[in-house]
Amino acid sequence: MIFGMWDSTYFHLGPIPVDHLVVTEWVIIALIGIIGFFATRNMQMVPRGLQNAFEMIIIWTYEFFTQLMDKEHVAKKWAPLLTGFFLFILISNYSGLIPGASHIEGFQPPTSNWNVTATLALITAFSVQVAGFKEHGGHYLGHFISPSPLMLPLNIIEELAHPLSLTVRLFGNIFGEEMILAYMLFMVPFVVPTALMGLSLLLGAIQAIVFTILSASYIAAATGEGH
Amino acid sequence: MPLVLFLAMMIIMGFATCCLASSGHGGDMPIARPEGRTPAFGNLYVVGWTAVNFFILLALLYKFAYNPINEMLEKRSTTIESSLKHAEEVKAEVEEMRKEAQANLANSRQEAQDIVARATKAAEDAKNEILARANEDAANMKARATAEIEAATEQAKAEIRDTAASLAIMAAEKVLGRAITEADHKNMVKQFVDEAGDLLC
Repeated sequence: MIFGMWDSTYFHLGPIPVDHLVVTEWVIIALIGIIGFFATRNMQMVPRGLQNAFEMIIIWTYEFFTQLMDKEHVAKKWAPLLTGFFLFILISNYSGLIPGASHIEGFQPPTSNWNVTATLALITAFSVQVAGFKEHGGHYLGHFISPSPLMLPLNIIEELAHPLSLTVRLFGNIFGEEMILAYMLFMVPFVVPTALMGLSLLLGAIQAIVFTILSASYIAAATGEGH
Repeated sequence: MPLVLFLAMMIIMGFATCCLASSGHGGDMPIARPEGRTPAFGNLYVVGWTAVNFFILLALLYKFAYNPINEMLEKRSTTIESSLKHAEEVKAEVEEMRKEAQANLANSRQEAQDIVARATKAAEDAKNEILARANEDAANMKARATAEIEAATEQAKAEIRDTAASLAIMAAEKVLGRAITEADHKNMVKQFVDEAGDLLC
C-alpha cells in the first residue's frame, strides 16, 4: 500500500471532491461534538460527571491561557480557538493509533498531511493579525516597522515563518511517526510496535500542546504591549 | 530493570520471528509493505475542507462547551453572590431579633422588679395599718378597762363607806346603850365617816 497519499478522493459532493482525510476530520469533529453535546445537554447548578469535567477543563484553559498571554480578556477571547486546535490535533494524532490506520487505504491521521497542518497554521496566522488589530487598532501596523523601517522585510518574513514552522513541525512529526509505526508493524508485528505506540501517544500529545502553545504565544506577542 | 530486560528479549524474539517468517514464506507477510510517499502540497480542496471543518468544530465548541459553561459559571457566581447577600441579611435580622429579645427581657425584668416593689410597699402599708389599728384597739380597751376599774373602785369605796357607817352606828349604839336620834345619828355618822374616809383614802 502507498502511505501518505494525499489525493485519495473518497467521493464527490457535487463537483467538489471529498478526500478520505476530510471524512476522518468529520468523524473527529463529530466525536468532539457528541461528547460536548452530552456533557452540556443538561446543565446543572451543581456540576457532576461529564459536565464537571468539562467545566474544569474549560476553566483550566482560561487560567492556562491567561498565564501564557498575560491579558485575561485576550485569553478568554482566544481560548476556544486554541482549545479547538488542541483537541483537533490531539485526536487527529491519536487516530493514527487506531488499528488499521495507515494500513487501510485512505485512513490516515489528518495531521499527517501537510495540507491540513498548513490550513491550521494559516488560521493561526490570520488569528494573530486579527488579534493584533483588535487589541491595538491601527497601531498594530507599527510593529512591522519596529524598531526601524529597515526591519520591515525581516518582520514580514517572521510573520510568514510562523505558519510555515507550525505547518512543517506538525506534519513532519506525525507523518514520520506514522511512517515508523507502519514500517515497524510491517517488520516486527509483535511487541515492538507497542513501545513505539506508547511513544506515539506521548508524541501526539506533545505536538498538539506545542502547536497550541506556539499559537497562543504568537497571539500573545501580537496583543502584548511594546508594539 | 526487569522491564527493560523483558522488552529487550521481546524485541529479539520479534526480530527472530520476523526473520523466520520472511525466510519461510518468501515475504508473504500478514501486513502489506508500506510505501512511503510525501503527500503533495497544495491540494486546495483539502485545505478548504479542513478550514470549513475546523470552523464547524469551533462552532460546536462554542455551542456545546464554551457558551453553556460560561453561562453556567455566570449564573453560579450570581447565585453565590445573592446567597451570600441573603445570608448577610438573615444574619442582620437575627441580630436585630436578638437585640429586641434582650430589650424585652430587660423590660420584663424591670417590670417584675416594679411589681415586687409595689407589692412590698402595699404589704408594708397593710402592716402599718393593721399595727395602727391594733394599737388603737389596745388603747381603747385599756381606757375602757381603766374606766371600769375606776368605776368599780368608786363603787367599792361607796359600799365600804356605807358599811363603815352602819358598823359605826352599831358600835355607837352599843357604847351609848341607847338609841340615838336620827338626827344625831346622821350627824355623828357623817362626821365619823368623813374622818374615817380621810384616813382610809
